[in-house]
Amino acid sequence: MADIRFVLNGKETEYHGSATERLLDVLRNQYRCTSIKCGCREGECGACAVLIDGILHNSCCVAAGAVDGSSVVTLEGYRETARFAALEKAFAAVSAVQCGFCTPGMILAAEALLSKNPHPSEDEIREGLSGNFCRCTGYNAIVNAVSGAAKEGNGLW
Amino acid sequence: MVNGYTASSLKEALTILAETNAVPYAGGTDLMLENRPGVKYLFLKKIPELRSITADERYIRIGAAVTFTEALASPLVPPLMKEAVSHIAAPAIRNAGTFGGNIGNGSDKADTVVVEFAADAKARIVSKEKERIADIDKVFLSRKHLGLSDGELIAEILLPRKGLERYAYTKVGGRQSQAVSFVSFAGVFGLENGRITNAAAAFGAAGDAVQRYRDIEKSLIGKTPDEAKKVKADYLRAYEERILVNQSRVGPEYQRIVCLNLLNDFLSRFGV
Ligand SMILES: Cc1cc2nc3c(=O)[nH]c(=O)nc-3n(C[C@H](O)[C@H](O)[C@H](O)COP(=O)(O)OP(=O)(O)OC[C@H]3O[C@@H](n4cnc5c(N)ncnc54)[C@H](O)[C@@H]3O)c2cc1C
Ligand code: FES
Ligand code: FES
Repeated sequence: MADIRFVLNGKETEYHGSATERLLDVLRNQYRCTSIKCGCREGECGACAVLIDGILHNSCCVAAGAVDGSSVVTLEGYRETARFAALEKAFAAVSAVQCGFCTPGMILAAEALLSKNPHPSEDEIREGLSGNFCRCTGYNAIVNAVSGAAKEGNGLW
Repeated sequence: MVNGYTASSLKEALTILAETNAVPYAGGTDLMLENRPGVKYLFLKKIPELRSITADERYIRIGAAVTFTEALASPLVPPLMKEAVSHIAAPAIRNAGTFGGNIGNGSDKADTVVVEFAADAKARIVSKEKERIADIDKVFLSRKHLGLSDGELIAEILLPRKGLERYAYTKVGGRQSQAVSFVSFAGVFGLENGRITNAAAAFGAAGDAVQRYRDIEKSLIGKTPDEAKKVKADYLRAYEERILVNQSRVGPEYQRIVCLNLLNDFLSRFGV
């Protein structure tokens, strides 16, 4: 039986396990992509966000078999990019990280937003991050960080 | 693939469905929460025939595996449907969730289904042997009851091209994002030569089924808005008696009042 073939952070891979497993569990347990957090397992919190073919998904709501033939990016891969560097700097500049649990999901949600809309308004940033819950910052710092990254990283997106 | 099937064409998918007990999997946003033990999934997202939005003379045809995000980006999808879709969850769920899955999940809270009821939408249903077109209320019967036989898949949702211009849509939920409806309402109004031709009103999340009462709607058809105003009190009373509400968190009385307020607002918006 053919395996699940996909590209993970730029590298081709084959997964031999069950197609019905949660992508969240497969990426954390099999591939040790521990940037992905499990906050709720119900699609509500965004802590498990990944990009599948460039599109934001909550990996707790994705079956492993669904990524056959796709490209998956987690923060482990995204952190190698210049875009990540711009976001990291902007998050640090306004103290948009406290415990950090939500941060990988926030960063990938920001990437998904900025790649579609490089100069979002505050409302558009809030909408873009609306599926990502943060229990520490009160959100304003994160919104400012994304806005700052869009300005400072002009041309990256 | 262990416990999964992929298909590159609809024909291949229907053969797999006829020969196995695979469960159709579109975006997974309901299935992965259910996490049914011992299932095998048939992955639909990469089947081109289920992924397009097209228009013919009478209908906008939305492929069953089209995502909510894709529908929002399409100039073909009518504003009424876009308004409902834009209120669904948050970006990551809209990127995954599909129209076919919204019906297939069999929840009376399914936001696109409420619009489909108000819009007199149809679904194209396919199986290995045949294909048929069915009215939405023959496909979505009530909570967890679908008018689909084994081996059948929803291929497309057909929305009428004309007549959806005058509408109202409201979703009442606990918060702005990621809210599941307490009540959702979609209304479609039609007026020709000063007379009412349509007053479709559909309610979701209140009872076990999506509710629409065509006999009560009829009491307004053929009347001018001014004439309709005179029977509006009777019309609202008829709904008050008929609307089914459930023991949700917000309580049945609150739900009933919200339904009637939404109905009242809908008619007022069009001069009734
Ligand atoms: C956090 C969160 C928030 C949500 N918010 C909302 C909301 O606001 N409004 C709302 O309406 N829904 C909401 N949902 C529910 C869900 O996203 C929708 O019902 C969505 O449309 C399901 O689509 P899917 O493609 O993900 O379905 P799947 O999970 O893939 O499938 C759902 C069901 O449909 C069947 N199915 C799928 N495709 C077909 C087909 N073509 N033919 C026949 N059967 C099929 C499957 O077998 C399964 O039984 C939410 C879900 C989550 C996790
Ligand atoms: S763990 Fe996936 S959305 Fe919360
Ligand atoms: S920084 Fe702690 S949850 Fe966001």
